[in-house]
Amino acid sequence: MTAVADDAAPRRTRPATGTRAISAGILAVILIAWEIAGQAQYVNPFFFSWPSAILQASWKLIANGALAQNLVVTAYAYLVGVFAAIIVGSALGLAMGWWKTFGDIIDPYVVFFSAMPRIALFPILLMVFGISDLSRIIIVFIGVVFPIIFNAYIGAKQTPRLLIDAARVFGYGTNQLFMNVVFPAALPYLIAGVRTGVTLGMIMVVVAEFFGGSSGLGQNIAQSAQLYKTPELYAWLLFTSLLAVVLVKGADRFERWAMRWA
Amino acid sequence: MSQSPSSRRLVVKDLYKTFTTSNGVLPVIDNISFEVSPGEVVTIVGASGSGKTTLLRMIAGLETPDRGSLTLNGHAIIEPGPERAMIFQHFGLMPWLSVLQNVVFGLKTLSISPAEKLERAHEAIGRVGLKGFEDFHPKHLSGGMQQRVGIARALAVRPSVLLCDEPFAAVDAMTRLLMQTDLLGIVTEQHATALLVTHDIEEALYLGDRVLVFSSRPARLIEEIPVRIPKPRKPEIRTSSEFQALRAKVWRLLQEHTK
Ligand SMILES: Nc1ncnc2c1ncn2[C@@H]1O[C@H](COP(=O)(O)OP(=O)(O)OP(=O)(O)O)[C@@H](O)[C@H]1O
Ligand SMILES: [Mg+2]
Repeated sequence: MTAVADDAAPRRTRPATGTRAISAGILAVILIAWEIAGQAQYVNPFFFSWPSAILQASWKLIANGALAQNLVVTAYAYLVGVFAAIIVGSALGLAMGWWKTFGDIIDPYVVFFSAMPRIALFPILLMVFGISDLSRIIIVFIGVVFPIIFNAYIGAKQTPRLLIDAARVFGYGTNQLFMNVVFPAALPYLIAGVRTGVTLGMIMVVVAEFFGGSSGLGQNIAQSAQLYKTPELYAWLLFTSLLAVVLVKGADRFERWAMRWA
Repeated sequence: MSQSPSSRRLVVKDLYKTFTTSNGVLPVIDNISFEVSPGEVVTIVGASGSGKTTLLRMIAGLETPDRGSLTLNGHAIIEPGPERAMIFQHFGLMPWLSVLQNVVFGLKTLSISPAEKLERAHEAIGRVGLKGFEDFHPKHLSGGMQQRVGIARALAVRPSVLLCDEPFAAVDAMTRLLMQTDLLGIVTEQHATALLVTHDIEEALYLGDRVLVFSSRPARLIEEIPVRIPKPRKPEIRTSSEFQALRAKVWRLLQEHTK
């Protein structure tokens, strides 16, 4: 009996080496033009600064420890908030998908809070909890938890009946069914939710820091802008963006690793 | 054929089943009774949508009859049990598990050692000709190969009743011929009872000791046709006049009772 397996199609093809070089080239041209325009004062240095000044400011913030110090503050609120949201969101969402009645009862609330612009809750949270780590953690949590609940819910609900039947035929009880069928079937959705959460959490923590406090990446962006320390403002923006890129890429990696069977 | 006491049988008696849908009550199984003795292969043919899968699901314990009784070895069937295994029409493999893991999946609730589970899984995978594909995921297998994983998963349980829902529908004609012969051999070897649903009259006659002909929905048992061709059967018997006469008979019955 000859058996032929289809070749696995790569999920995402790498860009050709040439295109990467073109991307880098375009960036170089923009940076050089910006540098020249900045130094020659064609643009208002008050608002735009220029690459070498920004790099200098960045280096200073790295060398004097300001970056590390503020990164720790931001990372703390971010990590605690995101992890709590992943744990609570997954548990609630999976439970909603697994127990249909429970899901039907909770569903309208999830729809309401998912649709609501949650940044509007910040003033209330700050009023109740003050400007503190706790209020920032709660802001990150609230921002991240809904997409995770929603994805876990959909994921558990869409578990194909055929797979549940197959497991039941082989004697799986309720708990075994959940652990061995519903959870893995929901996992791709859950991971997509976590991916969204990882990015959203970064936005949440920076916005939360805008509202007050004395440190953190967002607070430094806000302060530099208020004090017209333009090169520093751009330096903080650069750090924040790089961190976001690292997080998104990390989440991508994790997703591809967890979904290698698909 | 050895005559076994009726307590060692699968007995389907006065079975009725309806589904309630938004369009009203849909009768699916209409007063079906038959018996299957240990070691016997009984095949079922009937029009698409007649209720064949529903019957197998009830025997598997996935669905409850409205009326009538289902007993195996004298015990009422009320839920799934390890003495019955099912091969699903649409495979029902876990896409996140490899071939080996999918076969082990079927052994999860048996009280045997992990080492024995692995051993049984490897043996079953060898039986269906998938040696070398243990670490493949279903997505990277053809439909026929996926179906063979489903067959291996059921065989590894070593059930006394094997419920097969169109197990070869996804397989090309050549492979089907080989797998039909394999399945016959395996069933005989394991002294299993098999209940096999198919659309294919030739398959029903080739594999069955008896063929149950069902009407279109709601399924009624029109006739039980014994196939008195000695086993093991060779694929060549399909051209014999005896086989062709049976084939014509089943065909006629189906035509007469299909709306
Ligand atoms: N859970 C269900 N709820 C409502 N109707 C159902 C359900 N399961 C099956 N049916 C209906 O019962 C009828 C018989 O279905 P079944 O799957 O048993 O047919 P079948 O003989 O196996 O068909 P096929 O040969 O196409 O596989 C169909 O009309 C189907 O739509
Ligand atoms: Mg069917």
